[in-house]
Amino acid sequence: MKKNKSKGNNRRVVRTICSGCHCACGVLAHVEGDKVVKIEGDPDFPMNEGSLCPKGLSATQFLYHPDRILYPLKRTGKRGEGKWQRISKDEALDLTAARFKEILDKYGPAAIGWSWGDAAYHSCWWSKQAWLKAMGSPTNWHSDSHYCWHPLWIANRTTFGTYHASEAGMDYRNSKCIFLWGGNPVMSHPTRARDIMIGVKNGAKLVVIDPRFTQIASKADLFLQIRPGTDDALALGMLHIIINEELYDKEFVKKWCIGFEELRERVQEYPVGRVSEITDLNPEDIIKAARMYSTVRPSIHHCRMGVQQNSNVVQTCRAISAMIAICGNLDVKGGHVGFNPPKGYRSLGSILESPDELRLSKEIEDTRIGAKEYPFLSGSESLCWSCAHPPSVIHAILTEKPYPVKANWFLNDIALCLEGQRDAYEAIMKLEFTVGSDFFFTPTMELCDIIIPPTMWLEKDSIEELFYNTGHMDYVGARQKVVEPLGETMDDAVMDLEIIKRMGLEIPGPWETPHDFFNYQLADTGVTFEELKKRGYIAGTIEYKKYEKIGFDTPSGKVELHSSLLEKHGYDPLPYYKENDITRVSHPELAEEYPLNLITGSRHIAYFHSNNRQIPWCRELEPMPKLEIHPDTAAKLGIGEDDWAWIETPISKERVKMPAHLTRVVKPEVVHAPSHWWFPEMKGPEHGCFQSSINLVLTIDGPYDPVAGASNLRGVLCKIYKVEED
Amino acid sequence: MKMKILVDIDLCVGCFACEVACKQEHNLPQGPKLMKVVQVGPKEIGGKLVMDFVPMHCRHCENPPCIEACPVDAISKRNDGIVLFDENLCIGCGECIEVCPFGAPQYNPEKQIMQACDLCHERIDQGLLPICVQNCPTDALVFGDPNSLSERVRQKKADALLHRRFTGSSGID
Repeated sequence: MKKNKSKGNNRRVVRTICSGCHCACGVLAHVEGDKVVKIEGDPDFPMNEGSLCPKGLSATQFLYHPDRILYPLKRTGKRGEGKWQRISKDEALDLTAARFKEILDKYGPAAIGWSWGDAAYHSCWWSKQAWLKAMGSPTNWHSDSHYCWHPLWIANRTTFGTYHASEAGMDYRNSKCIFLWGGNPVMSHPTRARDIMIGVKNGAKLVVIDPRFTQIASKADLFLQIRPGTDDALALGMLHIIINEELYDKEFVKKWCIGFEELRERVQEYPVGRVSEITDLNPEDIIKAARMYSTVRPSIHHCRMGVQQNSNVVQTCRAISAMIAICGNLDVKGGHVGFNPPKGYRSLGSILESPDELRLSKEIEDTRIGAKEYPFLSGSESLCWSCAHPPSVIHAILTEKPYPVKANWFLNDIALCLEGQRDAYEAIMKLEFTVGSDFFFTPTMELCDIIIPPTMWLEKDSIEELFYNTGHMDYVGARQKVVEPLGETMDDAVMDLEIIKRMGLEIPGPWETPHDFFNYQLADTGVTFEELKKRGYIAGTIEYKKYEKIGFDTPSGKVELHSSLLEKHGYDPLPYYKENDITRVSHPELAEEYPLNLITGSRHIAYFHSNNRQIPWCRELEPMPKLEIHPDTAAKLGIGEDDWAWIETPISKERVKMPAHLTRVVKPEVVHAPSHWWFPEMKGPEHGCFQSSINLVLTIDGPYDPVAGASNLRGVLCKIYKVEED
Repeated sequence: MKMKILVDIDLCVGCFACEVACKQEHNLPQGPKLMKVVQVGPKEIGGKLVMDFVPMHCRHCENPPCIEACPVDAISKRNDGIVLFDENLCIGCGECIEVCPFGAPQYNPEKQIMQACDLCHERIDQGLLPICVQNCPTDALVFGDPNSLSERVRQKKADALLHRRFTGSSGID
């Protein structure tokens, strides 16, 4: 293809896959000698078709950043003092294995865990899990599993089973009507924004439900500026209209749904007048949205963090899932197509869920932190990739209840990525042994005893499954090593296999090297990893209405609008609305001192979680966090553009400050603060992580969503005032 | 043939990818942006919030005022209409900024010179697209000769008119 011919004579171009976020875009890496000189989007890769976002385009600045950690390090001073000694790879692995072994012998396997929260570590999810299984430890935890993706998946699975998780397989390009709930994929998932715009170009209507007037909202046919955290009421109100006006797919409901009458009865509690009062939306807009979703078909509900980071997330997503089902949008072209992986491919998910492969035994899983309280998140009956409840892990480290956690392997910046940040920071300080594998001295890496730096995506081979397959395609691709690893960085999976061996344990599968694992996944596809590298990717065949052959993977084989799984565990089997915990409605007495409604955590395209603040082309796009505040509210508070403002909530003793940005993106009573802010240029070990990180004014002490354990990060009362000192 | 970059405002979602693609192609430090996405709004118009994203770059004018303004003749126009700044001649005085109707010229603090979009002329000479156009995820940026571009705009407006005549609403609403 002429378009991407190389520039100089000594330049070669290597195809690989970015891991700057979960999108997994195809990349053409231009190499001169042993150096990557340029990154372009791969026009022949289906996910991005030649485009890339600022993160991918800045990858050379990441790879060759002068501050990147390139050699294994051992802490020599006190924890966090910043005194390090360079050690060899061997010494780092031996020391790490010996310390873990010591803790294993002293406290038992569950006292050792690993945590992550970053796309860069997909490629070692299997090997970290293999390490845990070799020890018999159930303590795998992410920074965000209780309110990112897992709750939605639990809601989907209780409603219509495994195969149609609505986070995957949305067929934007062929849809006639796309609903976005609490998400701005322009900033968070650029390839999805691209597919949505292709859908819009093809004639789809776009409806955006968000307390913020986002980029994608500016393209919407209908924008519902909802009161934060009331998506459950809106979804139930829409169901009320759709059911009472008989706008649903009667044939599908009759043939494939159970519990419709109970749902009909439940939604009678949510007439449009009541819903309008709860959500601050016009009744006309609610009616319009309900009629659009149910009559302009096929339609999609894309529901993201604005919905999920609330303490009634599973029931909210259940109401939305029910709407997807009764409107006949399951597994149809232009709707929610689900998974259609390449034939014979053993997905990471299936391997993690199989007790013969990487899943721990039922007995061990049921001792996992959170398993008792949140069986669908953390136990052997988990309806997602079973993992510990993150706030409870922090509590376990601090209080040793239900049992002590004494050592952890940190793969990303947990210090910044959890609500109740002070507790998370203290928990890290309290651990007996901390090992870290990250690219830069983040606030978390600063607190590690040993650092074993990992290779970046341009320096390693791996299989990339598409977290975000869309309905028109499902495939797996090959990431391939473009250049040799810098310094003494190591592939994470190699580290893990080495640690297992050096702890005297057995690798729980036929995998001596990462490539063994890739070929294990590919064994029944007829393609080896080497061949996959040449091909770039292999695709599955898109098939619709798979349920007609195999039914739905629920206890009844039907779509369970009335969920037997939830009922069995004593949860309400039907969706309901619950007001968020700290709002003017639930706590009017707090509203005088804390009159504003704080939402947190929207993304910027330059960053992924706490990453990229040190990358010049990324930082230039968003140099500082911005507190978004309506101009009228700011005027009343005497706050001008770029003035620093304090943010306080009734659920934290802390306060944080950041510059104000006066904008009509939010309504006058709502303010928004971005998350994960730290400043690599500020002094370690904290690097300013207690200055502007909004997680400081949130709490890990609940209340949580009763099913998934989600905390409430969206819609908490707060007060804002100007920073008076310099 | 005179080639231009056309911006389709309806499709620009404000992702800033063109800015960074351009910075990589031209190896620019923090500061200068030869392509810049300007956000307009949100404003309340007729009770409705509106917001646009407008990619701004050198328009390679027919009679570029910057050429007239440059005291050292560092700016020239190729036969195909591309306006180029000569790094070796430019003294970084910034006269071109004052006269440009689009605010296109940028100061590069590392090289201490002015720079502007060069339409990726080296890529164009190899038959490639300007990098911002190639990278744009929504095809909001389109490259072509002005008449083929106006054909595209005409077609789009005509489609919308048809839609409006028969549905009572524009293609977008």
